[in-house]
Amino acid sequence: MVRYLRLVLVQLRISAAAGMAYRADFIIEGVMAVAWMALTLLPLLVLYDQRSAVAGWDRSSALVVIAYFLGVRAVLEGVVSPSLVDLVERIRSGAFDYVLLKPVDAQALISASRFEPWKIFDLLGALALVIYAFHARGGPPSATGLAVGALLFVNGVLAMYAVWILCAAAAFWVVRLDNLTYLLGAIFDVARWPIHVFRGLWRMVFTFVIPVAVMTTFPAMALLDDLDARTAIATLAGTAALLVVSRLVWRTAIRSYTSASS
Amino acid sequence: MIRARELVKHFRVHKRPPGFASALRSLVRRRYETVKAVDGVTFSIERGERVGFLGPNGAGKTTTLKVLAGLLHPTSGEVEVDGFVPFRRQTELLERITLVMGQKSQLIWDLPPSETYALNRAVFDVPDAQFRQTLDELTELLELAPLLDKPTRQLSLGERMKCELAAALLHRPTTLFLDEPTIGLDVAMQLAIRDFVRSYNQRHEATVLLTSHYMDDVVALCPRIIVIDHGVLIHDGDLKGLVKTMDPDKRVSFTIVDPIAGDALAKLGTVLARDGHRLTLRVPERELPGVVGHLLGPLHVADLAIEDPPLEEILRVMFGKAREGEANGAAAVDATPPPGKRAEADRAEEEAGT
Repeated sequence: MVRYLRLVLVQLRISAAAGMAYRADFIIEGVMAVAWMALTLLPLLVLYDQRSAVAGWDRSSALVVIAYFLGVRAVLEGVVSPSLVDLVERIRSGAFDYVLLKPVDAQALISASRFEPWKIFDLLGALALVIYAFHARGGPPSATGLAVGALLFVNGVLAMYAVWILCAAAAFWVVRLDNLTYLLGAIFDVARWPIHVFRGLWRMVFTFVIPVAVMTTFPAMALLDDLDARTAIATLAGTAALLVVSRLVWRTAIRSYTSASS
Repeated sequence: MIRARELVKHFRVHKRPPGFASALRSLVRRRYETVKAVDGVTFSIERGERVGFLGPNGAGKTTTLKVLAGLLHPTSGEVEVDGFVPFRRQTELLERITLVMGQKSQLIWDLPPSETYALNRAVFDVPDAQFRQTLDELTELLELAPLLDKPTRQLSLGERMKCELAAALLHRPTTLFLDEPTIGLDVAMQLAIRDFVRSYNQRHEATVLLTSHYMDDVVALCPRIIVIDHGVLIHDGDLKGLVKTMDPDKRVSFTIVDPIAGDALAKLGTVLARDGHRLTLRVPERELPGVVGHLLGPLHVADLAIEDPPLEEILRVMFGKAREGEANGAAAVDATPPPGKRAEADRAEEEAGT
């Protein structure tokens, strides 16, 4: 465990150093991070300018969902996505050989192989948004809400990670996966809206198939003291199942690795 | 200790003829073909041995190395490295082996090699003191000092290869799989890498299995040679034995001082090359004393040299024979020599009368 922790810290330092290797890029990335956060809020502000509630969610509650969206997206774009894009590239070029030659778990090694350090600002922005939303509601969240909300945030990140691993594992068979990662990114964008905005089939899809509700709506509801225990437990169990499935698929996928030509 | 017994690795590859129509057809109905990359290879290598692994492109060398390093699962057969089954990827084995691929890089492109070394140190959990000592040793042997803090993207190919070797050896592996480690390097750099590999082998009693397109690498480094073609082992033994079996005739080169009649030369041996006044003859070993005596005596030649046939030539003949066997019904994999080598190979086949 200590070995893996040390490894993550070294990778974090190296990614930060790599990010700073190109000075102009580093500055532009920083400015972009702030701009993207502002743009994320824009549709919500426009929507609530005309009405006080959408599908039972008032403005401040919807802001909590957006905050979770920003938080999960920060982890997605800061760690998961760069690492898995890196994985797809390594599989295509055959450089994944060097991952398999290392005496550590390949999934663990590749999952933290790249970081985008600027995304920490998105995470801080998400936190600021939660504080603002509760300030607008007139009081802080309850201790239980805070604890379950924090737990479900981690759970949401893990669910999203499992979906991405499933997607990345496909790269061992189909090699070119760029479009699938873009598609998943676009689908994840749905998570900025509370799940109740969707009806019928879409709500089922976004709850059970691509569980974006698990990533943002349910954690937000927990923080707002609006989530029943049964849904909370089902959310945790669903993510655990997803993680197990993703691990099994990953292990099967690695067996299919044929390594690109010398 | 490395053992491979009846090692087989087959790949299923998608095949389609060129053209747009066949591309469209392949969307609906795909044709697959089984490529026998390695087809029943058996050998064993003792600790501390340096073995050259030779064969034409597509012979199955790299696939064998990848199976031995645990990157690929064998289709059938048994493989063992230091008592471990490689594809199980046990930590104890991965800490003892390394694979260097001349055409692939593990160095982080935008950062100096020292950052990759720091990462590998964490990955292999190398204690601080051992890491310092090993890095100092590698820095001295490979003359890395001026390179360690330069971004990888600014290093020359040769400099990068030296840094790659260091990255692969920081955990002090005792089994080295080297796949074309000198590819694209100039002669001086090839010599440096060769010296380094020999020195590492001697210092750490490391087992070395080397593939290289440069025969000089193999001749200089490896007392034992394994030759593989079309996934099948066709020779396993020392270099001299290979040369003796395949072509016991010697090459006699000399410079003509006085003109020599063509029929006088034909009596001495087969003329293999003629470059101005410089000639190379092929002479059976038992006739050598007589021929040399005649050349130095009545014919007054200068700069006489006697050599074994070049390894490249021997291998070309070997692979040419293997191709002949293939034409008689053996399994098919692409063993076409690279374009630059094709003319030479054709010439060799003509010489060999194939």
